[in-house]
Amino acid sequence: MTMMTGGPITFAPARPGEPILRWKSRARSIEGIEQELARIWAQPDLNRDADGDEIVDRHVAARTSVMNLVVIARRPEVGEGCAATIQLLTGRHPSRTTILLPADPDGPSWLDAQIQAHCVLPREDAAATCAETIYVTAGGEGGRHLDAIVAPLLIHDLPVTVWWPDEPAFGTPPANDLFEMADRLIVDGSHWRGTGLDQLRRLAALQERLPLAISDFALVRQSRWREAIASIFDIPDFLPYLSHLRRIAVTYAVREDGGADTTNIVKPVYHAGWLASRLGMRVTKPLSPVAGPIRRGPTRAGGAGPLATAGSGLGATLRAERHEVAVVVRPVLSEMPPGTTLRIELLADWRGSELRADITAEQEAVHARIWQDGVHALERGFNAPRRKDVDLLAEAIEGGGRDPVAVGAIRLAADLAGGALR
Amino acid sequence: MTDTAVPKRRKTKPESPAVAPESAPDKPTYPSPRQKDAPRTMRELRLSRGARKRPAKADENPLREGLRLERVPDPSTLVLFGATGDLAHRKVVPALYQLWRTNLLPHEFVLLAAGRREYDDDALRAEFRASLEKYSRVLPLDEAAWRSFASRINYFRLDFSDASGYDRLAKRLAEIDKQQNSRGNHLYYLATQPSQFAEIVTQLGRVGLDHERHEGGWQRIVIEKPFGHDLDSAIRLNREVGKVFRERQVYRIDHYLGKETVRNLLVFRFGNGIFEPIWNRRHIDHVQITVAESLGVENRGAFYEETGASRDFLQNHLLQLMSLVAMEPPATFDADALRDEKVKVIRAIGEMTPDEIRGDVVRGQYGPGWVGAAQVPGYRSEPDVDPASETETYIAARLEVDDWRWSGVPFYLRTGKRLPKRATEIAIQFKEVPHRLFRDSAVEPDPNLLAIRIQPDEGIMLRFGAKVPGLGIDVRSVNMDFTYGSAFSVDSPDAYETLILDALLGDPSLFTRADEVEGAWGIVTPMIETWANDPPPDFPNYEAGTWGPEEADKLLARDGRRWRRI
Repeated sequence: MTMMTGGPITFAPARPGEPILRWKSRARSIEGIEQELARIWAQPDLNRDADGDEIVDRHVAARTSVMNLVVIARRPEVGEGCAATIQLLTGRHPSRTTILLPADPDGPSWLDAQIQAHCVLPREDAAATCAETIYVTAGGEGGRHLDAIVAPLLIHDLPVTVWWPDEPAFGTPPANDLFEMADRLIVDGSHWRGTGLDQLRRLAALQERLPLAISDFALVRQSRWREAIASIFDIPDFLPYLSHLRRIAVTYAVREDGGADTTNIVKPVYHAGWLASRLGMRVTKPLSPVAGPIRRGPTRAGGAGPLATAGSGLGATLRAERHEVAVVVRPVLSEMPPGTTLRIELLADWRGSELRADITAEQEAVHARIWQDGVHALERGFNAPRRKDVDLLAEAIEGGGRDPVAVGAIRLAADLAGGALR
Repeated sequence: MTDTAVPKRRKTKPESPAVAPESAPDKPTYPSPRQKDAPRTMRELRLSRGARKRPAKADENPLREGLRLERVPDPSTLVLFGATGDLAHRKVVPALYQLWRTNLLPHEFVLLAAGRREYDDDALRAEFRASLEKYSRVLPLDEAAWRSFASRINYFRLDFSDASGYDRLAKRLAEIDKQQNSRGNHLYYLATQPSQFAEIVTQLGRVGLDHERHEGGWQRIVIEKPFGHDLDSAIRLNREVGKVFRERQVYRIDHYLGKETVRNLLVFRFGNGIFEPIWNRRHIDHVQITVAESLGVENRGAFYEETGASRDFLQNHLLQLMSLVAMEPPATFDADALRDEKVKVIRAIGEMTPDEIRGDVVRGQYGPGWVGAAQVPGYRSEPDVDPASETETYIAARLEVDDWRWSGVPFYLRTGKRLPKRATEIAIQFKEVPHRLFRDSAVEPDPNLLAIRIQPDEGIMLRFGAKVPGLGIDVRSVNMDFTYGSAFSVDSPDAYETLILDALLGDPSLFTRADEVEGAWGIVTPMIETWANDPPPDFPNYEAGTWGPEEADKLLARDGRRWRRI
């Protein structure tokens, strides 16, 4: 049965760049959603009401979708958070967004949908750009068939991006079906339960199985570290050391009340994975617990923290062309959010000369300090504030096909964690 | 540094031979800039050898791939000559602020603002702040970003003709390098009167600020247009600059090349497979390039009296746009490959004879009229303009590129002041269909047209024929329109942001090379010289608010064409 309510929304004139809700209605079936979508664009001008009176301003609204964005949210607040982020991108990446909340899988199938259109004025004298958002809550057996709900709501010929912000159900039939219709998958590995490494291994398996472009916010978010590390080796004097790395040590934050074995370490492992993949290394010994000294960690204020009690971390071995490279992923008690990368240390040995690089980050900047044969050789700072979800999403969806750097980093990080988990 | 630390050399392209268009053997050619640049002294030979040792390419660092920036600019000091002038306030400082705000400048960046006036750091910062309130493209100002940017600004009082001032400058830069860890990397930005360029360059060389020592960092110089006022002066200036700086250290700005839509022209041509096969004389009837301004000379009457439209726009912006439209695909996207192809186009245009100039170039000067809803004075009544001025405020030219691709395809260029609207556009007019199948159509369908709008309302429009709905077969032209504003509703960087960042990164792709500048002057100088010998037309010969003199329309009409209505 189809039931429809709602229509255009009246409100104050829009300001350029500010997304405004222009349409809101409900439906209880896929057919109903399709009819509502058709109703939105049957309006000759979204800025006029049903009687044809101008309600806002003079600009004609145009649908300008560049992709289909499907969000799978297990909790309503997650879906709302994602929707708020997506709306900030309406002007830049107008998309038809379907936010799917699977509900109680027991009982009869049901579906409840809210259809919205947001418009944004690029500038005062331009036409508004509008895009639809469909919130679908589906329960019962129907709620398990994610692809069956999503497929009829896709705009033809536009790429499909699936954003799964919490714990993706890798390996389950509904998720597999959904991934098969997608061109890109966006996840955030730093939100996964436990160490997150098992999910990382499943992600790597998915990447090997499907030609899916994968963007993991946990990897994208750390680009400021990668910029800083790469900049060290832009200097010709230091470049030769890069192929003679001996040790990669990544220090991450843990809380006193959460041990290293329950802290998500996807971000620190990605650092090692990225470096190893860019330098053509392979894993000969995956990460396993190692013994080591107890360390102090930094506080938010930058002072010394309490003594570490979280164990001594994990160690792995990589093989470069002619030598082995030690990897250490080490927890340090810190007031920073658990799993946050605190420090990356690189040690290289080339023709009897040693290079040591120490990279740390603050809220707004990353610092790199280099010692060559024990002598302080370079200190650089990079203005690089932590990035927000909206920036990460924009970067993820701006990427074209598969990013070979991300593919390599995910694959190596999963190898460090024990290999792809099928 | 050891041998393994030396970056790998790229295969260099063989030098392109000087172009001698077979189809126009009677056209004299100006001396090949390439030959002029050949090393003549032992020092030049040494420098040219040194120039082959190129700095590490980004792709040689395997960690660079996939990062947001190809490279983060090195720690550096930008020395802004003419810091109290209009260009600095309107363009350079807003661009630097924006780059700083978006974290694209190095953490150790310092702006050393050099000017003649009495200022201290705080006074200058206050003036820059006031200018940013007016000219920053993102307002309101980000207070935190401004505070940290302002702390990087230092004033340095300098009389540009006072030699001792440059000794002080060298010392000051050494102090900054030490204090701010900017590692001896200096970008000298000449935003002064053109007459001061040579003196500043000479003095920088005298105090050794051109030297790129192994441990001392890089030295680059940005020179604003106009670069010379004719071929001889451009050659002289290039020679003066070349005595001090190597060509790879010199960044000659033509800000048009930094515009997003101009850069998109390269993407459009070489990033799409469907256009390049038809981008030639077999399919294209002619090309029109228009740079129209509705403004007059404003308060630049004295400057404009010495330049005119030919020097102000034709020698640089128009010929740059034309070379981007006409160039062959470069083998790579690196600076010299790109500029080699542009230079080939300039050389293939060649020098026009006085008779060709009289026939194929039209000059004009505006009289009083109406632009928009405002009555405006004629050029000769503008402030600081000679009441009997013979300076042209409009120029239209029919040029040809004598090469395999473009032989027989005219390029019509026009630029002028006080035209009805501000618009920059490239129009590619395709040939008519070979066989008129729909001759019974009520309206004759127009040939296809591709219009690339540079400003305002940046975008690309393709005109094609479509059937009018109904029982008959009527064909009408419709436009398929892409506007940047709708497809990417984000702020494009200002041209100066793009170009300053490129200079800091050491990427000269979007800057003009000595041979390009001299080649362009080689086209424009004969026009200026011919006019100097010919009595001017009856100036003023077009009314402000119109599309130029009638002769410009006749220029196309005699070929059976007309200017596109913009």
